[in-house]
Amino acid sequence: MATNRGDQSFRPYRHLKTLTEHESAVSCVKFSNDGSLLASASLDKTLILWSSASLSLLHRLVGHSEGISDLAWSSDSHYICSASDDRTLRIWDATGGDCVKILRGHTDAVFCVNFNPQSSYIVSGSFDESIKVWDVKTGKCVHTINGHSMPVTSVHYNREGALIISASHDGSCKIWDSKTGSLLKTLIEDKSPAVSFAKFSPNGKFILAATLNDTLKLWNYGSGKFLKIYSGHVNRVYCITSTFSVTNGKYIVSGSEDRCVYIWDLQQKNMVQKLEGHTDTVISVTCHPTENKIASAGLAGDRTVRVWVQDS
Amino acid sequence: MNAPIIDPLQGDFPEVIEEYLEHGCMKCIAFNRRGTLLAAGCNDGSCIIWDFETRGIAKELRDNECMSPITCVSWSKCGHRILVSAADKSLSLWDVMSGKRITRIVLQQTPLQARLHPGSSKPSLCLACPLSCAPMIVDLNTGNTTLLKVSISEISNNGPTSASRNKCADGITSFSPTAACFSKYGNLVYVGNSKGEILVINYINIEVRAVVPIPGGSVVKNIVFSRNGQYILTNSNDRIIRIYENLLPLKDEVRALDELNENLNDLHDVEKLKAVGSKCLTLFREFQDSITKVHWKAPCFSGDGEWVVGGSASKGEHKIYIWDRVGHLVKILEGPKEAIIDLAWHPVRPIVVSVSLNGIVYIWAKDYTENWSAFAPDFKELEENEEYVEREDEFDLIPETEKVKGSDVNEDDEVDIVTVEKDPAFSDSDMSEEELCFLPATPTCDAPEQPDKFVESSSKLMDSNNSGSPLSEEAGPIEHTVNHNSSPVEDDAGGIRIKRKRRPSEKVLELQAEKMKKPSKSSK
Repeated sequence: MATNRGDQSFRPYRHLKTLTEHESAVSCVKFSNDGSLLASASLDKTLILWSSASLSLLHRLVGHSEGISDLAWSSDSHYICSASDDRTLRIWDATGGDCVKILRGHTDAVFCVNFNPQSSYIVSGSFDESIKVWDVKTGKCVHTINGHSMPVTSVHYNREGALIISASHDGSCKIWDSKTGSLLKTLIEDKSPAVSFAKFSPNGKFILAATLNDTLKLWNYGSGKFLKIYSGHVNRVYCITSTFSVTNGKYIVSGSEDRCVYIWDLQQKNMVQKLEGHTDTVISVTCHPTENKIASAGLAGDRTVRVWVQDS
Repeated sequence: MNAPIIDPLQGDFPEVIEEYLEHGCMKCIAFNRRGTLLAAGCNDGSCIIWDFETRGIAKELRDNECMSPITCVSWSKCGHRILVSAADKSLSLWDVMSGKRITRIVLQQTPLQARLHPGSSKPSLCLACPLSCAPMIVDLNTGNTTLLKVSISEISNNGPTSASRNKCADGITSFSPTAACFSKYGNLVYVGNSKGEILVINYINIEVRAVVPIPGGSVVKNIVFSRNGQYILTNSNDRIIRIYENLLPLKDEVRALDELNENLNDLHDVEKLKAVGSKCLTLFREFQDSITKVHWKAPCFSGDGEWVVGGSASKGEHKIYIWDRVGHLVKILEGPKEAIIDLAWHPVRPIVVSVSLNGIVYIWAKDYTENWSAFAPDFKELEENEEYVEREDEFDLIPETEKVKGSDVNEDDEVDIVTVEKDPAFSDSDMSEEELCFLPATPTCDAPEQPDKFVESSSKLMDSNNSGSPLSEEAGPIEHTVNHNSSPVEDDAGGIRIKRKRRPSEKVLELQAEKMKKPSKSSK
């Protein structure tokens, strides 16, 4: 479907490769910030590091005693942090594949995690309804924020690392000052539907938030109003991650419970492509920072990571 | 930056001690250009770089050749280099990222102050103010030193005397340090001498271009520019801090001076220099404490130049005075009873950092208050009570209409998610090279792993037949699992850093000062 901008029409993504090394549902995939590595986390308690160019398996990170829900890369692509149902977070060295630190403190499964842009802090959200900020160097918890009344589904730092956004099953989406841990703004306050995912845009001015009523919204958090709605996918049960694709035009990419990856044009809000191939809910998607590449992860009925590229 | 939802920081100044940093005995401090790193020179010759966000140590610059106390630290504009001057008469230039020393030069006297040239990203020149002779420009590559003139009489003598001693106003020779600083882009050096004059010197040809006599004529102890180069302050022996406004253009100073020189061609020598001087700087304000007439220590400007801060030089008290630029005293910060030896204002935020005599660095910040309008999307903070007159049908029950939360925003507008606005505080970022904003944090490795206690604790309870009840043995992991407390975990390893103490009372501060005197464990 051609866009109105006139310079080029959307070139569809095609399936490149299926990676089948996980033994259980894959919960998260993320490209490293320098684009050289792809990491995937799974309910089989391991993480796998793949080379982003050759898509060959480089390391399998073993250590967690329960399944892993989320992972995050440090800005220099040296460290990975994983959040697991065993109530801990682990920091792994991406070059050697060893676990360098274990962060303990949550009292229930840790669901989401992210580094700040300076990679000196890690923020994590958990089923124990709290958000914890950890100092990377020492591994100590420097803040515990008890701002939600149900499991925290998503946490993200903004571009300067001064704000943290958190989303929760209690239907709220809140913005916190990362230095003091105090609440700065509440974006959404309805009791339902649950907010399953929230993240800042690359320039930190907008927030992409997913709610469990098949909707994705782009908010201007300064004014507290949403600017765009994206729909057409199915999202009622799982905390599906979505992301911005900016390497070749501006798009929103998201997984869906109907086993497809959806791509919408950011401005026009129309769906430009639906990638089919997974055999179960697509729970996580990630875009390569410089190339036109998307990786997606499927749940237990699928257990694969699929990589899609755009022909040039 | 985050202007839409964080209160604007204009016109703010710190109020309470937020935290303190302790590592050895620190003597002097300097922020990097963005205020993300704080360099502190210590008593033992090493220089510690603190990550100011996490308040942890990011790097230690230590070398075996220098064991004497550091007198001054100075960052290069790009943040990649640090210049350290020490009491063993040496100047060392370090590369921050690698932690390696690039060069070391030994001077004839101990430099009390050393500043890297602010104009270039990899500066090779620096300004050093030694204890007992004129300030000099040191070329870090060759080690050449060029003495600058400190008094106008030397002009007629054609050149500086080699070991010029500063004469006080009453003619007695004394070894009082002469203060000097670069202008904003490093084209000129402003020297404050013992006769109470500011000399504007072009260091390239060592020519004094202008002279500004300070009223009162007493020895100048410090001379500092504001960050935007528009104001300069002098701290004199007569206990007055004077603010001058810089009338020269920031980048083309030399050319402007040449023009002024041409216009005043009918005057000669000292007369001419003073006339040019009156066109370079004009006295704006004077600050003094008229009651206690206290000497000032380490005065400086705030990052935006709106505030002036100065420490009281009296021993036994830790008082920091804050004035607004117009001259009103707005705040006196009082800390634990140790003298202040150095002071710095954060380049961007309303934070002041002071070093006390016993080597501890105190961080002063605003006392934050919760913003209650943050708790619901439609809460709004009102400045004062407003009369509200409701609509005729506002509270009617209309069961049929659905409450549509319509957005009055045009949904077809273009949304820009990638453009980043430049931070106005750093408008002159014309770096060709990447600026060093932060040092990567490497997690310290955990002790070799023990089997995960959460999963196996039950079996351990059954197996244990050691002395002591099983409950106390497993006190560690059980503590974690029932830790529903929401307070931030305090670092209890030897009291290295205490977080977020709100307004500690005098008594508590004294108790803390007592604790410091006991040998404390060295931090990681």
